[in-house]
Amino acid sequence: MSKAAGSKAGLKAIRGDELPLSGASFLALARAVLGRGFSLRFRAKGFSMAPFIRDGDVLTVVPKGGDLARPGDIVAFVHSSDGRLTVHRIVAFRGGEATIKGDNVSMPDGTFPEGSILGFVRRVERDGRVVRPGFGVMGRLIASLSRHRVWEGLLSGARAVARPLRGRRR
Amino acid sequence: MDPKIEMSDVYEPSADIVAREIEGEIIIVPIASGIGDLEDELYTVNATGRLIWARLDGKKDLRTIAAEIAAEHESSPGEIEEDVAGFVGELLTRRIVVKGGGK
Repeated sequence: MSKAAGSKAGLKAIRGDELPLSGASFLALARAVLGRGFSLRFRAKGFSMAPFIRDGDVLTVVPKGGDLARPGDIVAFVHSSDGRLTVHRIVAFRGGEATIKGDNVSMPDGTFPEGSILGFVRRVERDGRVVRPGFGVMGRLIASLSRHRVWEGLLSGARAVARPLRGRRR
Repeated sequence: MDPKIEMSDVYEPSADIVAREIEGEIIIVPIASGIGDLEDELYTVNATGRLIWARLDGKKDLRTIAAEIAAEHESSPGEIEEDVAGFVGELLTRRIVVKGGGK
């Protein structure tokens, strides 16, 4: 272009997972998309929602808008401790505040105002196939068990049973 | 085929994208079927492109945009116009901008 303006104006195509975004930047992008009323599709990181959402699963989050959040819903929300977009499950909802917790962690994230919730997870894809991540009645049941600290025990028990079975199949 | 760009035309960001400046970079997320898909292709704009992008407001025509940038950067308007037309052509091909100003 010019000496002062620098190089020629250009547009570069990039895959979303190649973008070196910090947590705050990812949140800014998510807010921008969901805030315009569009859904957001992105790859999950971490194990805190296993086994329903695994590291590398592709999630589609729809904007919350005016919809009511309910126990059992898997939501994308702004975690007040680090300002990151986090995807966990509502285990209780009272007085406009949601208690949110990962299915695979023992302690809740905390209680958050409904305004912290940006959207609901509506679709989970694993290896190109849609999986059922514990929505609806199942979600409400998990929320109830999780709230009463029963869910983690069941999950550990199920893993303990599954481990030797997997070993036997090999 | 490359779109024909007239310097008297006015352009603005398409309603089918979400653009946001993040960590000093413009990131453009195309929206398809109501979904901003971060697993699909996104776009970033380089520093020179940002000078143009920031002015694509649906009001200024491309000649005015080129003149503003030329004045700010002590460049020849002709050279800048060529760059503006090329960049806007690329944005138009990818449906990132649409003709604005009621045209």
